[in-house]
Amino acid sequence: MKQTIYLILILIAAVACKEVYEAPPQALLRATLLNSTTGGTTTPTVSVRGIGIESYLVKDSILSVLNLPLSANNESGFLITFGTIRDTITFTYKDSLKYASMETGFYNEYKLRHIDFSKNRIDSILITDSLVTQTLHENIKLYIHP
Amino acid sequence: MKILSFTFILSLLVVFSYGQKEPQKKIKPKRTDNYIRMKGIRLGTDITRPFQNLWTKGNRYGSEFSADMELWPNLFPVFESGIDIMKIKTDYIDYKSSGSYSRIGIDYNFLPAENKNDKNIFFAGIRYGFVLAKQQVNSYKIDSYWGPITGGFGNQNYFAHWAEFLVGIKGEILHNIYLGWTIRGKIKLNNKDIGMPPTYFIPGYGKAEKGFNADITYSVYYNLPWDFRKSIGGKKTSTENTNKKPTSIKK
Repeated sequence: MKQTIYLILILIAAVACKEVYEAPPQALLRATLLNSTTGGTTTPTVSVRGIGIESYLVKDSILSVLNLPLSANNESGFLITFGTIRDTITFTYKDSLKYASMETGFYNEYKLRHIDFSKNRIDSILITDSLVTQTLHENIKLYIHP
Repeated sequence: MKILSFTFILSLLVVFSYGQKEPQKKIKPKRTDNYIRMKGIRLGTDITRPFQNLWTKGNRYGSEFSADMELWPNLFPVFESGIDIMKIKTDYIDYKSSGSYSRIGIDYNFLPAENKNDKNIFFAGIRYGFVLAKQQVNSYKIDSYWGPITGGFGNQNYFAHWAEFLVGIKGEILHNIYLGWTIRGKIKLNNKDIGMPPTYFIPGYGKAEKGFNADITYSVYYNLPWDFRKSIGGKKTSTENTNKKPTSIKK
């Protein structure tokens, strides 16, 4: 009798758990922050928000890497503040729709084509991998003045 | 050392002599129930199909009907047909797939009959299944910092086929009424790439991404007590009789 009750409970638990759906994955552009003089990793206080977007992605945080979400318009601009100095970076890319599964849905991946940026604190940008995929990895090296 | 090698050779000889022992012939007893015990056609419906959503992810439901008959002793050709629908509706996707599938195959009964009225069977069988189906992603949503991205895809039609290996039982619980279950292993034979999005669900088979799917069915059957052999035999007899009549008139 006990075994039957346990079996029923397990079945109920299995049924109750079955409708859990994960959100689709997201492809983020990863930028590593480097000191333009030494070439080593740097950790400045950073604030980041998208151009035309009110909310900040990162606000006054000490970071050595930035993970930037790209829009579906083939171009995304960011205002990046290093301490008190502000720079803008605009990424131009080609986006492609990817299928994760019918349970999670779809997501976009991107192929970087061009980067425009101001040179207030940023010294230079090097593209290390132009393919922005759901597997988080370094896409650009962002060299900033100390 | 000599003793050791002598012992080793001796033990090898023992092993070889044992290996060369004349193999005993296995005598397989012949079946004594080589007669047709179930006359007529057995029609069935799978009572689990409408409730599949209880153990599968997504809202899956359908219905399935079957027909089988003992055409030769212990051999039952089977035809199964059904509809299968899969719906997934989450915050990120609204998906629907549906199709009408069919299976043809044969079952072999392993259970010897105790007498001519014993119609219970334990069987193994094979099936060939095929389906013409369609799927549609009515809408999808990608959450993003820049605002949600939405879209959808039109109808996609596809054909798929698969093979099944199964075991099961059918027991007569009341006169001409049977209950039975089967455990099925399904192997996908082919499913063409239909582009974006790929086929997610194959009605009658299951998830398309899997090369193998397991399933269980539980059915109720009714045996239409129509002995087609008797009626064919009866017709022949009546024709023979009609032909014979003129002869008797001549006399």
